[in-house]
Amino acid sequence: MVHKCAGAALVAAAALAIAGCSGPAKKQFFVAFSQANNAEPYRAAQNELMTQLFARQPDVKLVISDAQQDNSRQVAQVETFIRQKPDLLIVAPNERAALTAVMGQAMDAKIPVICLERDILQPNYTSYVHSDNLTIGHMAGEFIVEQLQKKYGAPRGNVVAIRGLLGVEGEINRDKGAREVFAKYPDIKIIADPVADWIQAKAKDRMTEVLRAQPKIDVVYGHNDPMAVGAYLAARELGRDKEMLFVGVDGLGGEAGGIKKVMDGVLAATFVYPLCVDKAVDVALHILRDSSFRPEKEYRIIPTLVTSANAAELYGK
Amino acid sequence: MKLPAFAALPKNFLALAGIVLLAIAISPVAADGSRVFLEIGNLTDILRQISLIGIISLAMTFVILTGGIDLSVGSVLALSTSLTAMWLTRGYTHSVAVAILVAVAACALAGAVNGLVIAFTDIQPFIVTLASMIGVRGLAKWLSSNQNIDIGFGQDLAAHFAAVFRQKALVIGSYAAASAAFWTLLSRTVFGRHVRATGDNERAALHAGLPVRSTKVWVYTLTGLLSGFAGVLYAAENHQGNPNAGVAYELDAIAAVVIGGTRLSGGKGSISGTIVGTLIMGVLTNMLRLNNVDSNVEMMIKAVIIVLAVAVQRGKGGNGA
Repeated sequence: MVHKCAGAALVAAAALAIAGCSGPAKKQFFVAFSQANNAEPYRAAQNELMTQLFARQPDVKLVISDAQQDNSRQVAQVETFIRQKPDLLIVAPNERAALTAVMGQAMDAKIPVICLERDILQPNYTSYVHSDNLTIGHMAGEFIVEQLQKKYGAPRGNVVAIRGLLGVEGEINRDKGAREVFAKYPDIKIIADPVADWIQAKAKDRMTEVLRAQPKIDVVYGHNDPMAVGAYLAARELGRDKEMLFVGVDGLGGEAGGIKKVMDGVLAATFVYPLCVDKAVDVALHILRDSSFRPEKEYRIIPTLVTSANAAELYGK
Repeated sequence: MKLPAFAALPKNFLALAGIVLLAIAISPVAADGSRVFLEIGNLTDILRQISLIGIISLAMTFVILTGGIDLSVGSVLALSTSLTAMWLTRGYTHSVAVAILVAVAACALAGAVNGLVIAFTDIQPFIVTLASMIGVRGLAKWLSSNQNIDIGFGQDLAAHFAAVFRQKALVIGSYAAASAAFWTLLSRTVFGRHVRATGDNERAALHAGLPVRSTKVWVYTLTGLLSGFAGVLYAAENHQGNPNAGVAYELDAIAAVVIGGTRLSGGKGSISGTIVGTLIMGVLTNMLRLNNVDSNVEMMIKAVIIVLAVAVQRGKGGNGA
């Protein structure tokens, strides 16, 4: 009898779990959002803000799926969304090439598609809302040059770059932008550029090795805030945190975000890589409610420099 | 107690049938009144989505039947995606067949190395393949300089390859063909009997003069080969070679095999069971996604289903494992 009881329990458990998850009610807009990876703080913040903004609209039901940083899983989830015929699909692609075709399928199925933040290979979207990592790279590079100028009276010094997942657009351009700036100053040297895959714990380990090898470091440029913080923790452990400045990127709000780290004096600066969600939701609502609305093919959101001067003000927002 | 006729079916078929019925029952309904779950497009979506893990889990069944395990399949898949994309996009060859052959052969070789070390040393398969999981991942990343190798949508060889090999019919057909081949291999050949005998009682198999060592080398080679082929399909589906692809695929493949009723300690199990196990996971994922179940809850439900599905089979009339 064991198997029968187990079988019954199996069905009951699944049915129970699904109760209350029925499809969207009539006369409601159904918006599907395929998120690349809920586990990254930046993306968790996107999800939270999007949930908040759509919750203010009683006629919109939002569903978010999490691809857990897996291309195949995200393709599958978008395919399944297409079967559900949502009124609008928002995709934050895990990687450019992988999602291009399936987003084309959504367009073919006459579903308006908003591509959020990461680019794809073909313009298979109604509108693309993104910020610009190359500009962030330039802004970070210029900020670092300015700090070195202040410190030595001339633009010179040793920089450590902590790199995110290689091959990803954000990583490529945050790196490239800063290097383009440094290239104008031969006395500014990137003396190490370990890869920490966006992860704080890895950055701490990689930075510890750099600290052992490099007696003199002026600035650490983490390509995201968690990696800059990881580098700070490594330097602090070895009593060298006062020797250098730490610069990050992302500038998330909240207790664990980069803006708070600037207020705490851990980071000298960070750059708010905009969540892009405000604009995306705005565009989405216009598409849903106004059939004559024609969105721009592309919206670019400008990044913000955060230092001790404006951190508290931004944190309050 | 006399059981009704349908109870003579293997228990995992009943578990699958139960989940399919549930999926139909709770499926969202389309505007025309039909059930979205039953749309041909959706059903073939499921088959395409399970094909890669499905193909890998066929070979994984053989490995587990010998009492072994192969943790390196995800890394081998990543190696294959990278090699395929490199050969196609960097002009190393002007033939799609050559690119595929290079990728699959390299992966079969990686599998053969696993097999040789396992067969001729007393290091456990878990440790040997854990090492190759790390090493092959490193190789894939090193060969591709940590970069994804994008396959575009133009008119070149690589784009042509992707357009052909990402077709649903081809992907599902590959899975079906591999399933048929491995089913035949296991249940209709001497090699299949050796695979079972090795896992059932290795010492007895050795005393009986069975070729235990070469059997082991072959099953790991086949696993490398199929993981490599799955990697070729991955490269086409995702339009890229990706050295970070396939992380945790070994766990999905192992899950499909054990849900399908194959004993983790070896000797007992079947290809049909593994296919059912793969289908259970695929239908379950699709059912939960169609109903927009929160993805964290989805993971919890899957955990429960895995344990229950195995429990169902271990009951009366199960395979007695």
